[in-house]
Order: sequence, then C-alpha cells, then structure tokens
Amino acid sequence: MSSLQLHQSLAPLLYKPNFLSHLPYPTLRFRSLPVASFSKNGISMSQSHENGVVRNGAQEEYSDSLPEGLLRELMPTHVAVIMDGNRRWARMRGLPIWSGYEAGVRALRRIVELCCKWGIKVLTVFAFSSDNWFRPKVETDFLMGLFERGLRDELENFSKAGIRISVIGGSTKFPKPLQVLITDAMEVTKNNSRLHLIVAVNYSGQNDIVQACQSIALKVKDGVVKLEDINEFLIERELETNCTDFPCPDLLIRTSGELRISNFLLWQLAFTELYFEHSHWPDFGDDEFLEALRSFQQRQRRYGGHDS
Amino acid sequence: MHLIVSVRYFFLGLVNMFESFLISSGLLKRYETLNISKIQYLAIVIDSEEALQTLKVLNLLRWLAAIGLTNVCLYDKEGVLKRSEQEITERLKSEKRFKAPSLNCAVSGVKEITTSDSLLDQKCMNLEFISFSDGKAAVARAANFLFEKHYSSDNKKKPNFTEFDMAGALRAIGYVRPDPDLMLVYGPARCHLGFPAWRIRYTEIMHMGSLKSMKFGFLIKAIHRFTTVHQNYGTVILLMHDIKCVKINFISFPFCVIFLESRNKLTFWVHVFGFL
Repeated sequence: MSSLQLHQSLAPLLYKPNFLSHLPYPTLRFRSLPVASFSKNGISMSQSHENGVVRNGAQEEYSDSLPEGLLRELMPTHVAVIMDGNRRWARMRGLPIWSGYEAGVRALRRIVELCCKWGIKVLTVFAFSSDNWFRPKVETDFLMGLFERGLRDELENFSKAGIRISVIGGSTKFPKPLQVLITDAMEVTKNNSRLHLIVAVNYSGQNDIVQACQSIALKVKDGVVKLEDINEFLIERELETNCTDFPCPDLLIRTSGELRISNFLLWQLAFTELYFEHSHWPDFGDDEFLEALRSFQQRQRRYGGHDS
Repeated sequence: MHLIVSVRYFFLGLVNMFESFLISSGLLKRYETLNISKIQYLAIVIDSEEALQTLKVLNLLRWLAAIGLTNVCLYDKEGVLKRSEQEITERLKSEKRFKAPSLNCAVSGVKEITTSDSLLDQKCMNLEFISFSDGKAAVARAANFLFEKHYSSDNKKKPNFTEFDMAGALRAIGYVRPDPDLMLVYGPARCHLGFPAWRIRYTEIMHMGSLKSMKFGFLIKAIHRFTTVHQNYGTVILLMHDIKCVKINFISFPFCVIFLESRNKLTFWVHVFGFL
C-alpha cells in the first residue's frame, strides 16, 4: 500500500520543469476584506464581492462545515507556505513581475480566508527571505513599500476579523516606519485568536537557530539557565516561532514545483509533512489548497500521527 | 470522496510502477545517461522501522554504487542504521561490484567495473551514518560549545553569534560533513524525520515511498529529475562584512561560501548560490 504514496515528483510530470528557480514572494498588499467574511459567530450572512463575483457568505460557515473529503479531526493545526512562483507566473503571461506579486497577494488573501473558515489555527507564510536582499534594489524597495502599505490597509480588518499578526525575521533592515508599523500591528492584534498569521520577512532558518542559541547564552550568563540544561527543547523555546503555541507546522506547502525548503523553518520542519505543488502561487486557490489538505489527511489516515 | 481519492492514488501508483519497469528495462531512452556530477553528496532518510530491513538497505546502496554515487549519508531517527553500520560496511566490503540491473547503457561517472573491486573501497563509496542525536541535539551541543568559548571566560567582549560561528562550532564537535544536494526519503511519512536541519537549507527532497517497495526505476527517475532541473546557482555576489573571523573555508557546489581575510581584517564573503 505504501507504494501508492509515491511522491508527485515521481508521477508523470504534469508540467515541464521550470528553469527559473527564482523565488519571488508576494507582497502583503491586501485589498480591503469584508469584515463579515470573517464573522466571529461562525455564520456570515453577508455577501462579499471579489473581482466582480458575488459570493454568498451564508455558504461559508466557519468551522461548521468542511468541503467534501476533509475530516475535522485530521485538519492540520499549523500550515506553513512557501509562496513560490509569482514572477514566473507573470512572465508566463507576458506581464510585469509586479502583476505577479499582486496576483500572489490575492492568492494569499484567499488562503487566509480559507484557513479562518476551515479552522486552521496558525498559518505561516514565507514572504521574504534574508537571501532575497540580493535582488535588485528597486524590487526590494518595492516589496518593502508594498508590505508597509498592505499592512497598514489591512490592519483594521485583521483586528476585527480576529486575526493575530506576527512578523518573524530580522526587522533592522526595514525602513523605520515599517518597523514601527509592524510593532503596532502585533500589539493591536495580539489578543486575537481566530487565526494566527505569521509572516516571515527577512527570515533565515539558520539565523533563527543562531539567535535562539544567542538568547540562551545570555540567559546562562545571567544565571537564568544552567549550562548543563542547554538542550534542543530549550532551543526550540527560543526560536522566533515561540510566538505561537504550535510552533511546528503539520503541513508545509511549496508551490511552483520546487522541492526545497530553502532555509525556511529549518528546525521546526523536522516532522512536517511536505507537500510540493506544481502550480505557481498566484494559481494556488481553493482547489489546490483542498488537494493539499486531502493529501495530508490521506497520509495521516494511513500512518497515524507522528512524533514531534 | 475518500474512496475516489484512494482510487486515484491507486491508479497513480500503477502508472508509476509501470514507468519504473520501463526505466529499469532501459526502454525509456531519456534515462539512459545520468549526469551525476551534480550530486556531490546524497542523503538517504529511512523510517526507523523500515531501516530494520538491512538487506533492503544494502540493495539500495548497491544500486547507488552502480549508478556511481559514492558519497552517501544514511539517516534514520532512532539510530537503527548506526547500529547496523558494521554489518552494512562489512557486507559491502566483501561484495564485488556489479553492473546496474538492466541499465545496459553508459552511466557517466561510473568507474569501469573490474572483478577485483570491492564495493566499499575507500575510493569508491563513502558512507555516513547519522541519527536524530546528530541533528537537534548536536546543535544544542554546539550552542554549549559557543557559550564556553565566548561567554564563560572573563573576557568582557561577548560577541553576537553568527551562522559562521555555529557552523564552526558544529565542525569543532565533529560534524564536518557537507550539505546534501539531494535527499531521498524512504518511508510512509513525507518528511525528513529530523535530519540535521542545519545541513538542508537548499537540499532537494524527494519522497520515494516505502523501502519495501523501492524500485530501481524510481531511483533513476528521481536522480534524473534532480540532475535535469535548473538550480539557478552561480550568481556571484561580493559583499564586505566587518567580521573578526579569520578562517578560510570552502564548501563546494551547489552552495559555495568562501571566506577570505584581507590585510585590513575585513572579511569578504563571496556567495555563490541561487535565489532559492
């Protein structure tokens, strides 16, 4: 039976390998979300408009019904996403790369909605790697600007929708207004509990481990921790994902067919199910997310839980 | 819906098995030649329960040797492979090399086969056996090392740790092996089961299914896929950082970091890597 669990990469390829392995990350320029889409009472009776399509909010209840094929008890608590493929998506369509980022933002917005709707507690997205600073300055400046504007525009919506925001990664390289905004956003939403959205910006998995060790070293120096007590559990508590009660993702999704984790949550992904999706991030929608969750649950059913 | 999904996976599995047969038989021309030079270091992650199948592990190693992959890291969480190390290495030493099954064509990088060759010749195959204790626990020991080196003395300067410091600490406590280019995971779970996190930043990870049902054709296909995908490595960026480190280090393809020290104590980092 286990031979049936062959990885998609060994299945007849449904796509041609993409030779452009850049990892463009979407911005966080969310368009204003109808607050009623995230109704806290579990039922949204309003209608939301997106791209001219009217969506009946009554059909999208939070935590009460899941799409066919998903079981409540097997839903992952923490989903991590490497949003790969925005620029390739734009190039394939003859569009400027900024269009790819915009489309990626729409995809992210939809996934946030779905996580809220389907009861996923934590969503961690890899928005910008510390390695991405090597990209052209005009691009990084654009991304920082878009991140700032998006966060500013969506903060109120997130607050009302019960979404808690955390940003992990080194913020010292960010423009000062963005640093202030991030601090404010995290403070304002810290008591929200419907969904914890963790945005990794200027993040490096190796650096996360190093800063955790640094933090422990300072505690040992101050006498808070004994040297002989340094172990992997102590390190895990000092990682940047200690902002959540569920720091280790159950499921990692990476789009665009790349089979790497690219210095993302290196420590935390030890026992995370890896799902590599062929489509580019802007094309990752309801169906693709559903497929990923079904695949996750399929594996869980066969082999039970895993050690953490 | 669950039945539909299960049926779908079943038929997908049948297609894959048929394809594996075609590859093993040499009927698919595109798999005739493998350029294995891109795989400097290969990691094999096996579920601990499946790692008890020593004969299967040996068979896998024989296939890898036949393909020409000589630097292999074997990992399982519980250390089953570590405990089997002696048995595995002795069996390999006593065996002669053999030609890859049904692979009648040239495999680039494979030495000419002679009957006098031992499978585990020093020049032929280098095996590394690791377990969970070489991952997170090793990082904890490295953290301990860093503290003792930088913080326990009376020296008032308490430097901030860097990734370079951590890499150096890991080397100091005995972890000097390179990062794998490719990781093949055998077992039910599609995760790397705690493989040393520090070493897999840019490692390609492929799930191969159960060790019990491993197929030579799948192995060839996985390696072929890795060797044909463009990694976009090669962008050279020259940065200057004011760092006190003086060590000269070089890690080869696919991720090269060269540390140089100039006369005025500035350290040049030359990164040769791809954008994820």
